[in-house]
Amino acid sequence: MDRRDAVKSVAFLLGGALSATTIGVFLEGCNSNNSDNKGSNLFSAEQDQLITELADTIIPTTKTPGAKAAGVGPFISMMVKDCYPKEAQEVFVKGLEDLEARSKKEFNNSFLKISVKQREQLVGKLRDETVAAQKAENEQNAAKEPAKQELKVPLAAGDRYKGTSYFFAIARDLTLLGYFTSEVGATQALEYVDIPGRYDGCVDMKPGQRVYS
Amino acid sequence: MNLNNKATAQNTYDAIVVGSGISGGWAAKELTEKGLKVLLLERGRNIEHIKDYTTAMKKPWEFEHRNRLTEAQKETHPVQKRDYPYQEANESYWVNDLECPYTEVKRFDWYRGFHVGGKSLMWGRQSYRFSDLNFEDNKKDGHGNDWPIRYKDLEKWYDHVERFAGISGQVENWPALPDGQFLPPMEMNCVEKSVKKRIEDHWKKERIMTIGRTANLTVPHGGRGSCQYRNLCSRGCPFGAYFSTQSSTLPAAVATGNLTLRPFSLVDHIIYDKETKKAKGVMVIDSESKENMEFFAKVIFVNGSTLGSTFLLLNSTSEAHPNGLGNASGELGHNLMDHHFRCGASGEAEGFEDKYTYGRRANGIYIPRYQNMGNDKRDYLRGFGYQGGASRTGWHKDVAELAFGGEFKDQMTQPGLWTMGLGGFGESLPYHENRVYIDKSKKDKWGMPVLAIDCEFKGNEQKMRVAMMNDAAEMLEAAGMKNIKTYDNGSSPGMAIHEQGTARMGNDPKTSVLNKWNQMHEVSNVFVTDGSCMPSIACQNPSLTFMALTARAADYAVTELKKGNI
Repeated sequence: MDRRDAVKSVAFLLGGALSATTIGVFLEGCNSNNSDNKGSNLFSAEQDQLITELADTIIPTTKTPGAKAAGVGPFISMMVKDCYPKEAQEVFVKGLEDLEARSKKEFNNSFLKISVKQREQLVGKLRDETVAAQKAENEQNAAKEPAKQELKVPLAAGDRYKGTSYFFAIARDLTLLGYFTSEVGATQALEYVDIPGRYDGCVDMKPGQRVYS
Repeated sequence: MNLNNKATAQNTYDAIVVGSGISGGWAAKELTEKGLKVLLLERGRNIEHIKDYTTAMKKPWEFEHRNRLTEAQKETHPVQKRDYPYQEANESYWVNDLECPYTEVKRFDWYRGFHVGGKSLMWGRQSYRFSDLNFEDNKKDGHGNDWPIRYKDLEKWYDHVERFAGISGQVENWPALPDGQFLPPMEMNCVEKSVKKRIEDHWKKERIMTIGRTANLTVPHGGRGSCQYRNLCSRGCPFGAYFSTQSSTLPAAVATGNLTLRPFSLVDHIIYDKETKKAKGVMVIDSESKENMEFFAKVIFVNGSTLGSTFLLLNSTSEAHPNGLGNASGELGHNLMDHHFRCGASGEAEGFEDKYTYGRRANGIYIPRYQNMGNDKRDYLRGFGYQGGASRTGWHKDVAELAFGGEFKDQMTQPGLWTMGLGGFGESLPYHENRVYIDKSKKDKWGMPVLAIDCEFKGNEQKMRVAMMNDAAEMLEAAGMKNIKTYDNGSSPGMAIHEQGTARMGNDPKTSVLNKWNQMHEVSNVFVTDGSCMPSIACQNPSLTFMALTARAADYAVTELKKGNI
């Protein structure tokens, strides 16, 4: 079961424990105890720009504004500083450095200067590599576990977050979170109703119906 | 001397209620309405209805971390962070774990909120009655002790608390889940309606599915507004649309003129008088100034949460009660239970692509227990119910893993898959060895020793979980769902925040702490009416039963007091 399903299964369990607030799929944080990481100098000014452009490649302007217009770049910088353990921060910084180096190697220019097409190409490769790495990690973990899980006593629940940090996965996750919960994303790309006032369980889809945020 | 007498008189009430959560609020309401002068003690700060729900009207983008936790929050809340309830949007409602440590002999996730209203502010609001099936199970299979009451003893008190609290729900005539005094039910969405019909047809109504019975008002009720379908309940409701101490029982108690509410009042122990063989009051630590003070009363209601109350009783030792107040049975601290959950199945619904929903319904569907009833026999004892629901998200089937870009973005903004999930809530048996005790090797912020918790689920629960997955998949399949996946995310005791037991009721003082009126066998003027009193936990969400037991016990206590019996 992937994380998305895990979060959804929590969201279904409304009476389980306490009320879930927004049924966003973006509930989770990360799991570590290090917090000597609130350094304001985690990123250089150029890296902050790089994050902004990367986010805008992940969620670009279409018929609605993209990540840059929604301020997602600074949001990601802040989130990585505040909400991630040192190890993941290091992965993230290294990922930015690698991305910039690859841009220079492949296109002889900074990621900030290359064309949208070139950015998409680079990010596409990054995406494919991340998918492959995650898949390999999952297979490795599956091989480690006994073929059939025997009855475990006690039935301990896992920690909320486990697994390796991947630069692209963090960047994409924070871009989606930041964008779809921003005022621009929630009200223009999605449809936001502050106080619905009623629940209709079965309404006809309107043409051009957007997802309610 | 004279001064002391005056101070004592000033600190004397008819009744003291320890704890202001769901059951404490009810005790305060019932006792004040019956004319008693009541002191309601709360260890944490005050939270005033509406005024202090500081995040209630915030929009998603007004939360700096968009509801995620910072590393700093995770450091001060190593237990609260283990599951989703502790979030940026209501982080001030949860305890700082570093200030109030406890000992986990085995993993136990202890979710706590120290403030007026307790967990009534953040609760899940699902409200179900117990039936005789539940009251008789202990006796039938020999696990735990027999309940000293049956459904007929509690029925009118369920009526009483439902009428006041406002529970919305659908009458079903299902014997294992008695109907109540319901406000109009919330609506199922079109996928849920279809699933309900197909399950009930397939199993010829030996299984049913109903809309969740919830303490959210579907119509204005008792001066409170109706639900606005924002699904932001756990921040506190500015419309007063769900039951909490603040929205409901506290204003009723205040209106009598008989209530004194004292926040920042941590009860250290109950003062026992060996001459009268009764409790004469409580010793309180002011949790701000750490000053000690005493309060006195004829009757004491202990409503400090399941483990909070048991800790208080264990900590109230005296020559006559060396092992904790009213603990001659030795059962105080034993038989800790919680529901096990995070286990079930989900699937995708097809054929509803032209339908959508409006509004955020803070409620789901409920499938009451059907196992080990009638012809349904299982290889485990007791049973489980399901909570769940269908929803339509922006997720689409053909989206590649870690997709990005403009096309992906636009697709995410269009309603996509309908999914339906069922998650089981299973009963755990009352095991004597699942217990808590006081650990004097540590101290909390207020200088109190801490609780040690030694509790685990066992084989019966594990067997049940297999069925919780398989039955869910089977029903989703019968309902026509596609791409069905089962899951078991593991469940540690405490996670369901339905911890119960440790000061159980029973007929026999040798094997139980409380009698059938929630009155201590050994100390007649002390009543314990929160989750600690439960001899078994069934599989239903328990808070409604705490409310009913509290109202019933308060009625009895006042009657006995008037008769001069206590």
